[in-house]
Amino acid sequence: MNRSSRNALVLASPSLAWLLLFVALPCIFMVVMACLTTGIFGIQFKFTAVNFERLFQSPLYVTLLFKTFRIAIVTTAITLIMAYPLAIFLSRQRPATKGLLLLLLFLPFWIGYVVRTFAWLPILGRAGIINQMLLDLGVINQPVDWLLYNEFAVYLGLVYVYLLFMLLPVFLAIDRIEPALYEAAQDLGASRWRVFTRIVLPMSKPGALSGAIMVFLLTFGAFVTPALLGGASGIMYSNVIATQFFANNNWAFGSALSTVMTAVVIAFLVGSSRFIGLRDVFLSRAGDRR
Amino acid sequence: MRVALKQSPLQATLLWAYAGLIYLFLYAPVITVTLLSFNDSRVVGLPFKGFTLQWFVVVFTRPELVTALANSLVLGIVSATIGAALATLLALAFRRPFPANGLVFYLIIAPIVLPGVVAGVILFVFFGLLKIPLSLWTTALVAHVTWVLPFSFLSLYPVVHRFDRSLEEAAGDLGATRAVVFRRIVLPLIRPGIIAAWLFAFSLSFDEFIRTLFLTGYERTLPVQFWYMIVESLSPEAPAMAVVIIVVSVVTSLAGALVSRRST
Repeated sequence: MNRSSRNALVLASPSLAWLLLFVALPCIFMVVMACLTTGIFGIQFKFTAVNFERLFQSPLYVTLLFKTFRIAIVTTAITLIMAYPLAIFLSRQRPATKGLLLLLLFLPFWIGYVVRTFAWLPILGRAGIINQMLLDLGVINQPVDWLLYNEFAVYLGLVYVYLLFMLLPVFLAIDRIEPALYEAAQDLGASRWRVFTRIVLPMSKPGALSGAIMVFLLTFGAFVTPALLGGASGIMYSNVIATQFFANNNWAFGSALSTVMTAVVIAFLVGSSRFIGLRDVFLSRAGDRR
Repeated sequence: MRVALKQSPLQATLLWAYAGLIYLFLYAPVITVTLLSFNDSRVVGLPFKGFTLQWFVVVFTRPELVTALANSLVLGIVSATIGAALATLLALAFRRPFPANGLVFYLIIAPIVLPGVVAGVILFVFFGLLKIPLSLWTTALVAHVTWVLPFSFLSLYPVVHRFDRSLEEAAGDLGATRAVVFRRIVLPLIRPGIIAAWLFAFSLSFDEFIRTLFLTGYERTLPVQFWYMIVESLSPEAPAMAVVIIVVSVVTSLAGALVSRRST
């Protein structure tokens, strides 16, 4: 090892030590914990696969894993479809307008997701705006309950909270396309649709993939939205994990569920890396969660 | 020459209408909550029964709410400072060819890609097995620094890479020691980036919820306090508290965006 890479290692060592101690090591603890059992006498230090048997054999947990996966995929697809027209719209604005519109887009996303999810309660709830409007218009005679606490409300909340994570990379990719390319294509007689499918779509693909990876990861791990808006029928995998720790006090089973969830995330990332370099996803998006 | 693509007026109108709907979708909930925070009613919702500031008075006088606000602000400051400091050193390390670059990169982004609940669980189990009691200034602080560190790194990475390395080399050739080069050349150049990363980290910490829920013990942060307030029973002061949270998050994020814009 030469002098400069030794210097680099010295600079990196505090962060790496921190991450090894508080991320890597705790992950190992989680896997070990998942192979133990929690009884009335506390943790039994004897290795067993009983937690994994339970979570793969009980239809409840298997179904919930698939449901969570499905919700994450569908939310990703919805945000993808919603993002394209808006990204195209933004890329066509003059620089000053574009800057203002982008800032207005960022503002609501700077607010924490607990508050943003909560904000839907006074809209969809019994005393909410939608019910009040329907009552005033005479469409209904008494407030309806079905606006909240179902899968629809979960989708609404998830799209609301995570749309920007799709929109931003798609917009950045489309905004980078040289306008001359469009002109050339149109001069050569390409229809607008053809310009979209042959230029905009292929050139924005890396952005769309980045956005899809982020939205999938965020929605797959969603906890607040299903808990606040989903009710009993809208719960997702994160919610049953939290229950093991906050209500059942079953650390071992909770760790087994967490291990499965982590495995799905790793498999998803490995699969995604066949299509796009993960360094590009995270480093080119540098800091733009804001 | 931005409007290069010929578009029909109809198409342009449709796009404007669509954009309008999206912005309405994004702002309607925030505006609703803000209006309801002034509603003189014990029910969180309509009808609007008149203007009042009493819910803000409640938020700023109830001791547990004030404590939660103070906890969040101080925790944000401390974890942003530790996180940004660690991230600055890490980003500087990445300017050189780095041993085990790939694996190190995955370790760094792990806190971002792990589901929030799992990130809470691993530290909860870790500290539990080590018999370290949960509290704001031990376990929750660790969770927050771990959460803000990779984001600070990612926002500093391009800043550290952007500036001209020949400046440093020139200073070195003229006889400046490494410490002087760092203090007089590198640090002034990346300072705006560090400030932006700090503000970014602060707002991430200030808004952090799920990891804190697992790790904070009895001392609550503002989002955790807000969470219990809305899930146990929807208290009438909830919208006012939401507005306080909104103001702090938006102001710090806006400051961060302005600083990082100036630094580019």
